[in-house]
Amino acid sequence: MDMFKTLIIILLSSVFVDNYVLNRFLGICPFLGVSKKINQATGMGVAVTIVMLIATAVTWPIQYLVLNKLGLGYLQNIVFILIIATLVQMLELFLKKFSPALYNGLGVYLPLITTNCAVLGVTINNINDGYNFIQSMVSSLGCGLGFLLAMVLFSGLRSRIDESNIPAPFKGLATTLIAACFISLAFMGFAGVVENIFA
Amino acid sequence: MRKNIKNTAVLVCICVVIGLLLSLTNAITAPIIEKNQNASANAALLEVMPDGSGFESVDIKNYTLPSTITEVYKETANKGFVIKLTTSGYASDMVIMCGVRADGKVTGAKCLSSNETLGKEKTYGDSFKDKDAAAVDAVDTIAGATKTTAAYKSAIKDALNAVIILGGGSVDIRSEEEILADNLNTALPQGEKKFQKLFLVEVIEGVDAVYVAENNAGYVCVVGEQFIGVDANGTVITEGVENPEAVTTAIAKIKASTLKDVNFKKYPAITDFVISAQKTASGNFVVETKGAGYGIKGGNEYHPASGEYIIVKVAISRDGKIIDCMTVSQAETKGLGDACADEKFYGQFDGKTKENYTEIDAISGATLTTDGYKQAIERAFEAVKVLKGGK
Amino acid sequence: MNKKNNLSVLLNGIIKENPTLVLILGTCPTLATTNTVDGAFGMGIAALCVLLCSNIFISLLRKIIPDSMRIPCYIVIIAGFVTIVKLLIQAFLPSLYATLGVYLDLITVNCIILGRAEMFANKSPVVKSALDGLGMGIGFTLSLCAMATIREVFGAASFAGIAIPFMQNYKIEFFTKAPGGLLVYGLLIALIYVITKGKAPAKTSFSCQGCPNAATCTIETCSKKGENA
Repeated sequence: MDMFKTLIIILLSSVFVDNYVLNRFLGICPFLGVSKKINQATGMGVAVTIVMLIATAVTWPIQYLVLNKLGLGYLQNIVFILIIATLVQMLELFLKKFSPALYNGLGVYLPLITTNCAVLGVTINNINDGYNFIQSMVSSLGCGLGFLLAMVLFSGLRSRIDESNIPAPFKGLATTLIAACFISLAFMGFAGVVENIFA
Repeated sequence: MRKNIKNTAVLVCICVVIGLLLSLTNAITAPIIEKNQNASANAALLEVMPDGSGFESVDIKNYTLPSTITEVYKETANKGFVIKLTTSGYASDMVIMCGVRADGKVTGAKCLSSNETLGKEKTYGDSFKDKDAAAVDAVDTIAGATKTTAAYKSAIKDALNAVIILGGGSVDIRSEEEILADNLNTALPQGEKKFQKLFLVEVIEGVDAVYVAENNAGYVCVVGEQFIGVDANGTVITEGVENPEAVTTAIAKIKASTLKDVNFKKYPAITDFVISAQKTASGNFVVETKGAGYGIKGGNEYHPASGEYIIVKVAISRDGKIIDCMTVSQAETKGLGDACADEKFYGQFDGKTKENYTEIDAISGATLTTDGYKQAIERAFEAVKVLKGGK
Repeated sequence: MNKKNNLSVLLNGIIKENPTLVLILGTCPTLATTNTVDGAFGMGIAALCVLLCSNIFISLLRKIIPDSMRIPCYIVIIAGFVTIVKLLIQAFLPSLYATLGVYLDLITVNCIILGRAEMFANKSPVVKSALDGLGMGIGFTLSLCAMATIREVFGAASFAGIAIPFMQNYKIEFFTKAPGGLLVYGLLIALIYVITKGKAPAKTSFSCQGCPNAATCTIETCSKKGENA
């Protein structure tokens, strides 16, 4: 029961409180770049979530069963980024070959994900936080869903911004960042809610 | 194909070169990083033992230490130990770190995590500096936080005891409950460690308290410091008892005692505050009464009172003395008034009469509870007066 | 190459193509580590070291690294230098290591570094690449520090950890929190537009210029910009 509670808390806090995009500033680039339309935002969010899950499923065992056993903990960064890059490539090839429909939906976002710091960030954070395998998977799922949520919410906002008449200096990225500021402000309201959800 | 092999070879070469560079850096930095990490881990320990030079962790599984202790660190120059404990305070667990010199004096104490109401426990540890086991009790309490103080002091005592054990000495680390349980078990092993204190309804000379085994294997009588086992047949099984007849007589009297319910309908003067009454053949009364403590009279708009009375069970002898007294139920303030359910409090009423029952030590910080309890006792005396036929 | 040319390469990164405020690259560390000046400066210098080393290394190897395998090669080289810098910081500046945490590891995927490797180092000689790395690094550090100064002075009434006496009662904690970072960043970009009177390449949207995947990327914004890369 306690284990279940811990997992729920990990999930909810990584979606709402420690939202990777809005609170920890990981994966800002795709957040600003690919959140113009809701279908793009959804596709990117789903693709990131899937890659995060697969990457964690592979990197966690490698860290504990290979790197730590051989005393090569300092290779973590290189190994993880190479694994993520390889996984993304393989996933892309796989989708292209076996599910063209899915490839058209998600595949186009995959190349962008290799250098998405949220993916590398979540795999390293899971190790740093000392999570076990199941907790790591739940945390990755939460981070991915949090990313998706932020993207989708923000895309709605951006379509309104695009239709507005904005003073020249604020056109483009400046307004986008300030709008993101308000979403982030709204998400701060979740702080303290999740920790006490079982209290 | 050849191009592929060449490409792969380049990548592998780069990987090898980078790998070599990395392992070189790692070889240089690893010892320094380890030293840094030890230093930061020791920083917390140094706060409670400022003159410590280095610390190493001690495996607590090798020692029988008080159960509150979670971690032990030994000062490498044998100056003493740093003990980490988790104890339950007023609101939640308090984690306390305490440094003890080899001569048994506290070098410093610190509360690492807590959630107490006043927050005074954060700095309270300083008061224990240079105190030894004998001086801990005399340290000023935190005003208005009896339970926090008590928990803190018992944690410091646990740490001091642990250091004696770690130094190879032996000390009684059992809590009061554990000591009582051990004594009962020694006196009557047949009781299988499950005993209940008997509520006395008869006047028994020469015996302070009686415990009954839950499996009916017999009784244990407490006379002064001595625990005397009596088996189911009424035979004294403990050796070296000065006056075994007193014990056997007492047990016989307890066994022979009968209780008869009193019908209140015959006594219209009995108030609603009297819940029930029973009478023994020897003319003693056992009365359950209600008293209005903090649960009724206390509370404010922010913290409403519980609305519960304190319910007390009192046995009063034919000549008007309290034979025994106990708290049946109460919902007084946690950490303050709820001390009225403690035997240390209600045990004070034993042997008192209608004239002097108020001469007891009040529960500190819970005047309303103490008054409510006294009210319940007063109603018991009144009820007995009515039941005896007085007015 | 003459001296003037070298100088312009160096200054290019600091002013004209300032990575954070003009090219809009490396947004994540810009937002995440600028709540204190200490953290921002440390992050800037760490990124500068990695950028300098990786630019030199990649420029040296630009004839050896096969075109089709360049991205994995760059990633390995960059990740290697990031780890070296991280280990050195962990050993000699433990407090900075504690401040930066995981963001130190994430320099690996900082688009400035991959971007400069892809856009500059792989087609320029060693000296120029080094100067480019230095310039970009300094530009990154300066803009980070500028942003951190605003956030720390207003948010915590201190500068690089030193308390500013007369401001103690007027802290706006909002600035040190996540939304404050986004707001200050947005305002700074608008400010740069005003200062340069709109001549600075005003970003109508997020830049894909530095993104190493821009060429393969099929998202409309990327494929358009990707042609530059």
